[in-house]
Amino acid sequence: MNKVIFELRNVCFSYHGKFPALRGIDISIGQGQKITFIGANGSGKSTLLHLLDGLIFADKGSIKFFGEELNERCFSDANFSRIFRRAVGLVFQNSDVQLFCPTVKEDIVFGPLQLGIERKEIESRLERVTSILNLNNLFERSPHQLSIGEKRKVAIASTLMINSDVLILDEPTAGLDPLTARHIIDLLLQENQSGKTIITSTHDLHIVEEISDTVYVLGQEKNIVATGSPEEILRDSRLLEDNNLVHIHTHRHKDKMHIHSHQHLEHHQ
Amino acid sequence: MSKGNNFIEYSIAGALSFLKESIFADEYATKEGFLQSLDPRIKVITFLLFISAILFTKSITISLCLYAICLALAYFSNVNMWFFLKRTWIFIPIFSLFIAIPAIFNIFTPGEVLFTLKLLGLKLIITQQGLFTAVLFVTRVIASVSFAVLLSITTKHFALLKVLRIFGIPQVFVMTLGMCYRYIYLFLEVVENTYLAIKSRVGTRLHYKKGQQIIAWNISSLWHRSYYLNEAVYNAMLSRGYTGEPALLNDFRVKSKDWVWLFFTTVFFVILLYLNRK
Ligand SMILES: Nc1ncnc2c1ncn2[C@@H]1O[C@H](COP(=O)(O)OP(=O)(O)OP(=O)(O)O)[C@@H](O)[C@H]1O
Ligand SMILES: [Mg+2]
Repeated sequence: MNKVIFELRNVCFSYHGKFPALRGIDISIGQGQKITFIGANGSGKSTLLHLLDGLIFADKGSIKFFGEELNERCFSDANFSRIFRRAVGLVFQNSDVQLFCPTVKEDIVFGPLQLGIERKEIESRLERVTSILNLNNLFERSPHQLSIGEKRKVAIASTLMINSDVLILDEPTAGLDPLTARHIIDLLLQENQSGKTIITSTHDLHIVEEISDTVYVLGQEKNIVATGSPEEILRDSRLLEDNNLVHIHTHRHKDKMHIHSHQHLEHHQ
Repeated sequence: MSKGNNFIEYSIAGALSFLKESIFADEYATKEGFLQSLDPRIKVITFLLFISAILFTKSITISLCLYAICLALAYFSNVNMWFFLKRTWIFIPIFSLFIAIPAIFNIFTPGEVLFTLKLLGLKLIITQQGLFTAVLFVTRVIASVSFAVLLSITTKHFALLKVLRIFGIPQVFVMTLGMCYRYIYLFLEVVENTYLAIKSRVGTRLHYKKGQQIIAWNISSLWHRSYYLNEAVYNAMLSRGYTGEPALLNDFRVKSKDWVWLFFTTVFFVILLYLNRK
């Protein structure tokens, strides 16, 4: 397989030392993979993504990035920190925290400016990203005054601008209208085609099959309870029900996914 | 009952939006106008000149003149006059209550008697010198506060922080300032949202007593939540490569217009200094 980017061994994390958020996570993520984390609310998805982005650090166990252990010390090295930030981008679950500049445009170019990317290059990226996400008419607006979906689009744009090899997205399609969600999935697939690693967390089982080649299910105990291809995981309706992921039944018809709500129980018999 | 409650409600909502509007009115910094078109460094220098001229002057006329210049600058920078006046005059009552008003009486400023007041059997004498001192004080406060406010609303917050760095203010200080700024914003945001959330849960006919309880209960959680949010925003900045020194979109460029402006303010400042010596 390709090179391993992230290697997690028995990673545990708790907030303020008393609210456990992850218990013993073992994963390895290879270059060019499409990874999805699914799980109930509070199962630790966001926490895991923040760990991968080097924003918080494991209490126990180790996280390696290209073989180098991530901890607070290595981020105090300006050089390493710059390389890491250029390589890994995160779209936060809460767009409000991600957007802090006075205008949308400044927010979008914030990342590449901090990372010292050339002005010309920034311009061309800006053009590409904003035309895909259709953001041109929002440039001079204040991010705080946008709708939730618009905020999310701006947040995604501001991370895409970094053009990182690893793209981490915390529930990228939550709150988006179907067409925009579609655009974003297409965009992610396109990025993946060009060799990028895509790591997402989601509750939206409809998109799981497309955006992942490996799915990890995080359980109520805040550990990984299942791993597999999206087909395997989505077929296991017991597993999904146990993890609050369906109140609807999922099954296959002639190789196509169908998702039915409980009302169609007779359909199953 | 509903009348009183409405008043409280409106005043909370009004105070919040006023605070937000007045501290974070970045809208003026992005407008087209004279001050916005100046290089931030030059702008800061010239504003410091104006403010020190105000602090040096002993003449009411000169400080009024400077105040007029400030208003004119605001006008040419497309700042809404009503907003600007509201925002600057709010400081006056605070200052005058503690400093200017006591100063007019003979107890603090002896001098020629202007007129005498009888209050609760106390004989209060207002002196000419006292009145002069008080008026001078108020005009100086209003003029310097106006300049400071004008500078802050016509300059982008990141740009201002960058200028501070350029002028050699230590990084730790500038960073703390930036954090405070964001912190206050987030705090206000949280207050506002909580207020809306209470309203949506309890309904508009919130009983006064009950409202007080809820607010008291919430104050501590408010600090907590805004602290948490602040931390999250900081993480989001780190995630995109922030290292404590914000890189700006437009690098500063001094144009000939800036030099002309700097030249005129310096000459003006020197003239004022000269006038003051007499
Ligand atoms: N700042 C925090 N302080 C304390 N505990 C926290 C904090 N953030 C999260 N937690 C706890 O950590 C656990 C995992 O939270 P996390 O946000 O990672 O879940 P999640 O899977 O992303 O949930 P969701 O689907 O709701 O986004 C939860 O039990 C939560 O209560
Ligand atoms: Mg989450």
